[in-house]
Amino acid sequence: MIRRLLALDGVLAVCRFRDDGAFVEGLGLLDEEGLRRLARFAHDYKRMVQGNADQLSMFTGMPGWTPPGGWMVRGRASSVCSVANLVCIVDNGEANLKEVMDALAEAAHW
Amino acid sequence: MSLISELAAMPGVIAAGEYSYRGDRYVCRGRLDDEDARRASIMCRATTMGLHMQADILGGFCGEGCGLVPARGWVVRGPRFTVCVVANVFCFLDNEAGALNEVLALMRERLADAPTDLV
Amino acid sequence: MADLDALLELPGARAAFTFNDRGELREHRIAEGAEGLDATVLDLLCHMCVANTAIATMQARGWERMTGMEGFYPIEGFGFVGLEWSALTHGHCGVVLANDEADYEAAYRALAARGEP
Repeated sequence: MIRRLLALDGVLAVCRFRDDGAFVEGLGLLDEEGLRRLARFAHDYKRMVQGNADQLSMFTGMPGWTPPGGWMVRGRASSVCSVANLVCIVDNGEANLKEVMDALAEAAHW
Repeated sequence: MSLISELAAMPGVIAAGEYSYRGDRYVCRGRLDDEDARRASIMCRATTMGLHMQADILGGFCGEGCGLVPARGWVVRGPRFTVCVVANVFCFLDNEAGALNEVLALMRERLADAPTDLV
Repeated sequence: MADLDALLELPGARAAFTFNDRGELREHRIAEGAEGLDATVLDLLCHMCVANTAIATMQARGWERMTGMEGFYPIEGFGFVGLEWSALTHGHCGVVLANDEADYEAAYRALAARGEP
């Protein structure tokens, strides 16, 4: 099913991982080891973002931050985006982040 | 005596506690009220999660014999207070007492076999 | 300028280094026999310490405003405790110490005295 995500403009690689961080599947312009590393990174980063969202919620008293819906890290040429247990690397010049995040959110329910 | 109680009784220790990696439980002994202990456990857990991810990346670059990884804990030092964490145990210290060496030594010794998979 | 050679005299010191606000390694010394350490590892370590100092600064700000317990802000240093070695930073200066030989209090004092370039 993640093949559909790879078909989006600018998506270079996509991975799915389990709640415990185990690699489930991956496709794209990374070798098997690279995809596994991406899944591991996304799992760890997700937990970190959850922790930071908990703190933001705690310090601001504002509702709506937790649980976090996803995260994006934007580099000069590429970005990493994740929703639930899916993560992808995108080319900033080619991808529409809104489209990618919406597709990830939809795919998370597959 | 549990490690938490032992740490809390050491000179210079303001409070010591433990949190679950899932974030659903915490215990704390010392001079933090229950709400502050909960906040402290949320903050310490968040930093620990981030640190382990960073240390895993660092490990990919460390050569044979490098003693930096895997991560065991961290220390944050402010002007009056220090927070130190090993595994899932945290300690708030008063800098004036100069207790960091003793506290970290005890934590490292007693938590040497603590699992590092954050579960 | 931090005297890195003097920092390397600290008990258990394996490396001493300075870095900029972004975490990029500027100067470094690595002790003889400190296997597995090189400029690449130290550069990544500096980025890690800068990142965590920023997070700790946010936490200290939030904590002090919420609890009134002042004494964490501004964060002076972040330390990473690894399996056998630790990395301590203060300002823009840091050291890697062997845990079994480390005197953390002395290291923080030395870094505080020399830490700001």
